[in-house]
Amino acid sequence: MSQPQMSERPKPFVFPEYCKGCGRCISVCAKNCISFGTEINPQTGLIPIVLDLEACNGCGLCITACPEPYGLQPQLPEVDYELIDPATLFGPRQSAATPAETTPDELIDLPATAPLVIKGNYAAAIGALLAGCRHVYGYPITPSTEGAEFMAKYLPQLDGVFLQAVSEVATVNIMYGCGGAGLPCLTFTSSPGFSLMLEGISYMIGSEVPGVFLDIMRGGPGLGNIAPEQSDIKLACRGLGHGNTHAIVLAPSTPQEMLDLTMLAFQLTFKYRNPVVILGDGYLGQMTGRVTLPNKMIRPGLPDWAVWGDAGHRRNLICSIYLSEPELEEHNKRLIAKYAAMSASEQRADLFHCADADTLIVACTTPAQMAKGAVQQLRQKGVKVGLFRPVTLWPFPIQHLLPLLKRVERIVVVEASDGQLEDELRLALSNAGIFKPPLIENIRHYGGVLPGQTEIVNRILATQEVAS
Amino acid sequence: MTTTVFYDRFERHAQGQGIKGHSTHYCPGCGHGLAHKYLAEAIDELGIQDRVVAVSPVGCSVFLYYYMDVGNTQAAHGRAPVVAIGHKTANPDSIVISYQGDGDLASIGLAEIVSTAQLGIPISVIFINNAVYGMTGGQMAPTTLMGMKTATSPAGRTPLMGQPLRMAEMIAGLQGPVYVERVALYDAKQRTRAKRAIRKALECQVENKGFSFVEVLAECPTHLRLDPVATEKWVAEQMTQIFPLGLMKDVTKDASFPALPRPSFSEERLLEVVGASMEEVSRFATSFPSHLAKGDVALKLAGAGGDGAQTAAMLITNAAINEGFDSTHIPSYGPESRGGTSYADVHVAEREVLSPAAPNPHLLVAFNAPSLAKFGPAVQPGGVVVYDSSTIHSVPELPAGVTAHGVPFTQIAADLGRTLVKNVVALGALQEATQLFPKETFLYAIRNALKEKCAMIPLNEEAFAWGARAVRGN
Repeated sequence: MSQPQMSERPKPFVFPEYCKGCGRCISVCAKNCISFGTEINPQTGLIPIVLDLEACNGCGLCITACPEPYGLQPQLPEVDYELIDPATLFGPRQSAATPAETTPDELIDLPATAPLVIKGNYAAAIGALLAGCRHVYGYPITPSTEGAEFMAKYLPQLDGVFLQAVSEVATVNIMYGCGGAGLPCLTFTSSPGFSLMLEGISYMIGSEVPGVFLDIMRGGPGLGNIAPEQSDIKLACRGLGHGNTHAIVLAPSTPQEMLDLTMLAFQLTFKYRNPVVILGDGYLGQMTGRVTLPNKMIRPGLPDWAVWGDAGHRRNLICSIYLSEPELEEHNKRLIAKYAAMSASEQRADLFHCADADTLIVACTTPAQMAKGAVQQLRQKGVKVGLFRPVTLWPFPIQHLLPLLKRVERIVVVEASDGQLEDELRLALSNAGIFKPPLIENIRHYGGVLPGQTEIVNRILATQEVAS
Repeated sequence: MTTTVFYDRFERHAQGQGIKGHSTHYCPGCGHGLAHKYLAEAIDELGIQDRVVAVSPVGCSVFLYYYMDVGNTQAAHGRAPVVAIGHKTANPDSIVISYQGDGDLASIGLAEIVSTAQLGIPISVIFINNAVYGMTGGQMAPTTLMGMKTATSPAGRTPLMGQPLRMAEMIAGLQGPVYVERVALYDAKQRTRAKRAIRKALECQVENKGFSFVEVLAECPTHLRLDPVATEKWVAEQMTQIFPLGLMKDVTKDASFPALPRPSFSEERLLEVVGASMEEVSRFATSFPSHLAKGDVALKLAGAGGDGAQTAAMLITNAAINEGFDSTHIPSYGPESRGGTSYADVHVAEREVLSPAAPNPHLLVAFNAPSLAKFGPAVQPGGVVVYDSSTIHSVPELPAGVTAHGVPFTQIAADLGRTLVKNVVALGALQEATQLFPKETFLYAIRNALKEKCAMIPLNEEAFAWGARAVRGN
């Protein structure tokens, strides 16, 4: 940009209410035109500088020295600056672009293919690719690393981005950026890494940024071990960082579901502008099985709210700050209404032999498969037992459970944690106004030991004997 | 110089009402306003306003988004550089600015700034160093000078609180960045330099040269408890002693960052990448092997790490699924896989595998004595055990009705010249001993698995045949 000639240089003027009297302009003025004021501005309580422009040669150094955007301004010759709104001083905005509209996702047909024979972690990775995710960030942690390794190998072939971050803390914040730019992104992690991501997840929820977190749960607390556990249920359902947070929590139990639910997670994370957590376990991540691909894949669009970096999206802001208490209360109410909508519409459960069951096993992820085996074995013995498998852990699928309660006399919660699934069940029952639920028993294991099929069968049979 | 990069009214600052609609929240004499102004002017001069995404930090400049009419994101404390990575990798055309203070960048966000700088990705970092925590009320910063009194160093900073951290020097010492400079705001000359440096930092990104970093020594009169003019003097005389001004690194001349990828959504490419095949699968089995178990056959393959139990298990699972059955395979992990017993649980189900664990298998393949000792007694009555008689010389007592076949897996493989194929010998033996699937089913799975290593196919076929022959000869 060309500099005006000396003779054309405008002299400065200042709105006293926009001057904080710091005096940076005073020392640069060679003509001593500017001095500290003495009168307090009644609007600001500050003492603005005083201009005496008789000797001013329009050098402009004072204007460059002024830290306020609307502080010292060049005086335009014909303008009566005392009367005009500063907003009109600078002419038209650089961009007159209309706000961007949401570009919808595009569905692309896939031909029929033979089933894949792959690990659960790979199935989830493929689900993400099919859902249009081309941005994966992560930090290696067993037993989730196959997911990251798969992405590191194959994303470059799809011109996607896999980036190994410096930590899980960095990972979730890169996702905050990528999700804030409106693109689908994912990370694979395991329990200790998930703990580290919680702060960032709270920011994502507060700023309404989508992103999918695949937590392959392992044994804890602390470093624990790398064997399967289910002890992140309370974190995912009740403890997503600080503040009033919730996210849909999906619990696949087979490699096929790792793919299907990962695809669903991307749909839900954009539908609600809220992160989605998928809880697997070490066993499921490592389990190889038959996986059939869907008949459609997705080319993601771009939402209107994205901070993308072009004219149409320039006005957007990704932010969780609401300084005034009533505004933050309103924001919380908005989020809570969103949680209520998720709760009403997104409850999912898988019912196995539940219709005539008087005993119900409640289990998720791999223990649910053990329980499924147990149900089949018990049915062969004529025991009226069913498996109620929550596919969404939050919201807990109480809508699907309530109709079964008329007949059910016993519930046995089978889990690899200290009652974290049972707590979700009890809370859901209580919130649904069921204060006298059927007898609730449990089979619990910790530290990487999973409840086994035989153990479940024996427990239910023993219970039957006690009952009869 | 005027700019349109500031909002015409700061609607996000107290709803733009009254003075706050045109006035920053910064204290009189604060350096942030100048840095904002030079940034806005540089954006204007380069004509990139529509492309800019500004990442606001936590600290006094948390409200950068009040002022700049660009795409805005507000980051968690210290995380602005990695949020910037997210934006830059999402849209390589965006011009991403991470604007941070000294607590944000040099304390809580050290890992993020160092790793992002070393990554070298083209983003521009503007680092405001005023030697103190402003927003939280004047506590010690990592850049606080020795002896300087703050709210958390009330008697002055001592060596027990650490030495001031020189970020520009540290960042310049990395290979990633292309441009690092430290500037100041205390007089007209320094301000001209600061403005030039900020513009250059953005140019590095516009021209895709790489990561740029400008440290700006700024004034915080409020927490230094000095008037604005005295604070400028303090920065000039005290701060520059510890934080010398000047260019720390400039390799921009021939620098060029690799082009960031633009995603592909070609369905052909995706199917190829995930290994999906549209070819018709060949099937050989006429029915489910109900002679072994009704509806669901459980297998365990156990050996030492390197015996190939997992690969053999994978081949069985692949074979089963090719035949249209359901199948699962779970490898064991943990200390047992380090030199001890490594085992695989496999199920083959007519319709659906329910429980994927196989604590009581119908079929056991044992590669060494500990495996047979551990799992042999758990085999279901009527089950079949196939074991390596090269390594197992005494068979433990097995449940009633369990048939055991000793086949010298290792010896046969060694005779073929590669002990690695002992697991295929084992599969041959398993097929012959159990008729789990027809021979062709296994061979088809083996050939498929070796698609990329065709030369290995004849050896494996031979190994399979020898395994079967050994069972027949028994």
